Amino acid sequence: MCLCLHASHHNPLHCIVPPYMLRVIALRGDPETAAMARMLLAEDEAMRAERAAHASPPPEGAPGLLPDPDICCPDRRIHDGEGRAALPGRLVRPEGAPPTGIADADLAYDASGHVFALFAEEYGRNSLDGRGMPLVATVRHRQNYNNAFWNGEQMAYGTGDGKIFRTFLDLSVIGHEMAHGVIQHSGGLIYENQSGALNEHVADVFGALSEQRVLRQSVHEADWLIGRGILAPGIDGRALRSMKAPGTAYADDLLGRDPQPWHMDGFNTTTDDNGGVHINSGIPNHAFYLFCAYLGGPSWHLPGRIWYRALQELNNPMASFTDWADQTLRTASTLAGQGSHEQQMLRRAWTLVGIRV
Amino acid sequence: MEIEISAAGGFAGIAAAGMHKRIDPDALAPPLARQLREAFAPDALARIAAAPCRTCPDGLSYRITVTETETRSFTLREGQLPPEMLDLIDRL
Ligand SMILES: [Zn+2]
Repeated sequence: MCLCLHASHHNPLHCIVPPYMLRVIALRGDPETAAMARMLLAEDEAMRAERAAHASPPPEGAPGLLPDPDICCPDRRIHDGEGRAALPGRLVRPEGAPPTGIADADLAYDASGHVFALFAEEYGRNSLDGRGMPLVATVRHRQNYNNAFWNGEQMAYGTGDGKIFRTFLDLSVIGHEMAHGVIQHSGGLIYENQSGALNEHVADVFGALSEQRVLRQSVHEADWLIGRGILAPGIDGRALRSMKAPGTAYADDLLGRDPQPWHMDGFNTTTDDNGGVHINSGIPNHAFYLFCAYLGGPSWHLPGRIWYRALQELNNPMASFTDWADQTLRTASTLAGQGSHEQQMLRRAWTLVGIRV
Repeated sequence: MEIEISAAGGFAGIAAAGMHKRIDPDALAPPLARQLREAFAPDALARIAAAPCRTCPDGLSYRITVTETETRSFTLREGQLPPEMLDLIDRL
């Protein structure tokens, strides 16, 4: 739960106080503090209402698990931000239109199609919301913008500043951002601390699988990198993250060193980055990689199916790493059998990264 | 007036990927200076900060410090800032 209130310069940031604590403060705090807590709670309500309007649970019945019989084709809508911040910008390539000649727009168009196909053909999901929503993306967002994001409704990609990043239009990045949409429409994972790191983790998993499936790579052929080729030529690094070897993606004077841990012993407690969501995701990322490596073969098959289905069945937006690991084991028992070799390998993977299951 | 802007977070999750700018509006052309003084007035920033913030996955977070007679700091999510203000930040 993120509560941003900057009520006064004495209280610069209250972004990490959970609502249950606010309720206690509203009841017991001194008048000034209690008033602030009440204000924060009111905001929280507004935000919940907004989230309810934007998020959706897995479709009723068999939650997001039965293939949608109406799945056909993606409805891509690629926009050019023309260097400005307003979204979505100018529509340059709707579904079925020929290439634009704008390299970023054409890359986004093709990659969105690959990510759509992963979810549709492997997991029976009709677009990000499971109901065929349009895939809206904006390329050339802002100036020298070193980022890509999902804003709850659409994807946006900067060009990079050329010094640190040279692009964000890489299939693993596009798959990552689109997976944030899938997560949002599968019950969601609150974007802070462990549940936030799980949100990041699941996004990395489907980002990596999007790329591996297009390249038809088995687990041992794949590089398991997120954002390979997006770092500028002068940066000492191969990618932004490595699922195979978290913490080794880059080591650079300007950028510092890849901070991702691969084991709970390295779990990073911080208030930066929404509680280290892009850092601690290295731990479940590595467990996923280990599980895939134990099984061999294409990772978008059984491992991808377990992760996708576990996300539909989780029903806990505040899940901890352990909650998630337990869920994947339950799902593995459904898909591969209780006590199966596959389930045992999954248990071993979680144990190896220090998560007790 | 002095305006200091730094960005952190985002897809990369690292501060180094963000930017850091220190601006003295008085050193700029008068129309831009006026625009900046309005957009970055502490009261205006406080209003933006008080709006509900939806956490966008991979969104940036801006730390804006404005010094006039006193210094005030605000942490604002990219999604809270109006596009015109983001364009202004990009121009600086
Ligand atoms: Zn992300």
